[in-house]
Amino acid sequence: MKQSDTIKESFVTDRRRLLLGVGAAGGAIAAGLTSAQAAGNAGAEQVTDAPVSNKMQERQPFHGEHQAGIVTPRPAAGMIVTFDVLAQTPRDVEQLFRTLTDRIKFLMAGGTPPAFDPKLPPSDSGILGPIVPPDNLTITVSLGDSFFAKRDWLAPLKPVRLSRMTGFPNDALDPALCHGDISLQICANTPDATIHALRDILKNTPDLMVVRWKQEGSVPVLPPKADGSHESARNFLGFRDGSANPDARDAALMDRVVWVRDGGEEPGWARHGTYQAVRIIRNFVERWDRTPLNEQQAIFGRHKATGAPLDGKVESDTPNYAADPEGKVTPLDAHIRLANPRTKGSEENLILRRPFNYSNGVSKSGQLEQGLLFIVYQADLEKGFITVQKRLKDEPLAEYLKPIGGGYFFTLPGVTNEDDFLGRSLLQAAGQIASGKKS
Amino acid sequence: MSFRTTFSAGAFALLATSSIATAAGVSPLDIVKPVADYKIFVSEKLEKLVADTKSFTDAVKAGDLKKAKALYAPTRVNYETIEPVAELFSDLDKSIDSRADDHEKREKDPDFIGFHRIEYGLFSQNSTEGLAPIADKLMTDVTDLNKRVKDLTFPPDKVVGGAAALMEEVAATKISGEEDRYSHTDLFDFKGNVDGAKKIYDLVRPLIVKDDGKFVAKVDANFATVEKTLAKYKTADGYESYDKLTEDDRKVLAAAVNTLAEDLSTLRGKLGLS
Repeated sequence: MKQSDTIKESFVTDRRRLLLGVGAAGGAIAAGLTSAQAAGNAGAEQVTDAPVSNKMQERQPFHGEHQAGIVTPRPAAGMIVTFDVLAQTPRDVEQLFRTLTDRIKFLMAGGTPPAFDPKLPPSDSGILGPIVPPDNLTITVSLGDSFFAKRDWLAPLKPVRLSRMTGFPNDALDPALCHGDISLQICANTPDATIHALRDILKNTPDLMVVRWKQEGSVPVLPPKADGSHESARNFLGFRDGSANPDARDAALMDRVVWVRDGGEEPGWARHGTYQAVRIIRNFVERWDRTPLNEQQAIFGRHKATGAPLDGKVESDTPNYAADPEGKVTPLDAHIRLANPRTKGSEENLILRRPFNYSNGVSKSGQLEQGLLFIVYQADLEKGFITVQKRLKDEPLAEYLKPIGGGYFFTLPGVTNEDDFLGRSLLQAAGQIASGKKS
Repeated sequence: MSFRTTFSAGAFALLATSSIATAAGVSPLDIVKPVADYKIFVSEKLEKLVADTKSFTDAVKAGDLKKAKALYAPTRVNYETIEPVAELFSDLDKSIDSRADDHEKREKDPDFIGFHRIEYGLFSQNSTEGLAPIADKLMTDVTDLNKRVKDLTFPPDKVVGGAAALMEEVAATKISGEEDRYSHTDLFDFKGNVDGAKKIYDLVRPLIVKDDGKFVAKVDANFATVEKTLAKYKTADGYESYDKLTEDDRKVLAAAVNTLAEDLSTLRGKLGLS
């Protein structure tokens, strides 16, 4: 594996040099996703040649206090898949956690899957080729309320804020798209890498869990800006999404907003975990596209082109609601104003958004089934998503949205070293309870 | 629930090696007897299919709705049990067992015939009207199938591969309850597919039990889980309607079936067949 990686790296370097030489198509190149056409000067390419990317060897570290895929910058492709878990006993649950740990570790690192006797089905689906590239993959494992509720030996260890998602007034939840014992958030530079990872996990856990629902999503890719600055990606309503996100590079802020810490009400095993709220929010895009621009901007509270708040110039400007108490500039029921009123008290309701856009074909009425695969992380589910969502109940944007699925989950703490595995702190805590009862 | 081997890259490599060793331990001659026994099993099922189809189609043609409904599931279960062999004749499989989804105009499509077209008439339209020609054609096709299978030399790889094929059939269409959507008698078919897979597995089991005890124990356990779960829905003359299946039992069945499909997919390789 080491040797082949070296070969791969040198190939990528050559390719990058080649692509940079082409120059003119700079935007697409630096974004990492380049069409075969962009490299066209290298010689005539065939219509079925694979599009090339110089980001296939990007790797996120698997080991760490926290799982990857939360404060990790969001790549272009994402997926949430939830499962019903068959494993009931501590032994089987440990087997599930260890299997997930092993598979995720391999998939995030990339490498060569073992070769089986060709008379047997191959160990790997092969959809990414004989050497699996990491492609910036992350897989984040979280547990639903039902995972604890259905196992007596785990019930006392349930994180205190974890609950089964209940519908909000504007929701039309489809039971087939809700909840689950386990959620996996799978993200990568390309959807193929997320699909490859999912198929690997399914193949290795058939007796331990069965798929419940799945939603894939994407983030539109942008060319880099000349000044090196970044901007938030747009949702399917054409607005920047996540402009007011807390800075994920600020570890102290993340400790406050995202991660469960010692000393609170949460069980000790949950330290370094976080709450994940997932919502599949359908957007009525045809109707939205028939709404005047001024109205769209008033509904969001931002300028559509720049993402700036209505009283600002650039996306990063902070709106000054104190100077606009009657909502003459930014309506009082604008989405961003309700979601984050920027008061002293609302600081504790901060959440880390990490959404993807989804597109699923058409409805029976012939309208596009698309919207937002909304994913947020927070240290306290009640103070975070649930409080924010309650504030949004009468927002005008709700007319264009219909939440149809999702669930609440608790994201397990990270895997810190080779001897560690996902869920170890939880199983140890359960073991201590069991041995306490015996003695 | 069985205990699963941890699939670290290292364990994968070990597994691969042990599988190769197993495959090498079975000689092609060892397969001859199981395949011959399987042919006898299939012949018996086909004789029963022909006889039962006669009673079933007679009831349809006589306009005896109640009797036709009662005979529908127990008749076709014979077909489901030997499906991997029946499917070798794709023209007959289509005319005997295609579903409305296989036809562009669905239930209204004139090419939609066979068991499921009769099922649609009996259970959805609650009538035998217009079904007589379809019943006659079904009888002809089933008789033809029996004759063709008699003349067939059973390819060992198709026989052994049939165990996995049956579990794939269950995983793809029986877990969802979409096979017998008008009559909701899916659990009959489910049982037929599982019995068919288990028959094949049981015939070759002695060839692998010594070298691959862990595999055999796991497959045995998953078959037992399926049978135990299905047994909960047994009635005096068959099985409960599919909609009686609880969500929890559906999950237990799904996991056991998926695991059997994974494990039985290695059966040909373990026996050195390709």
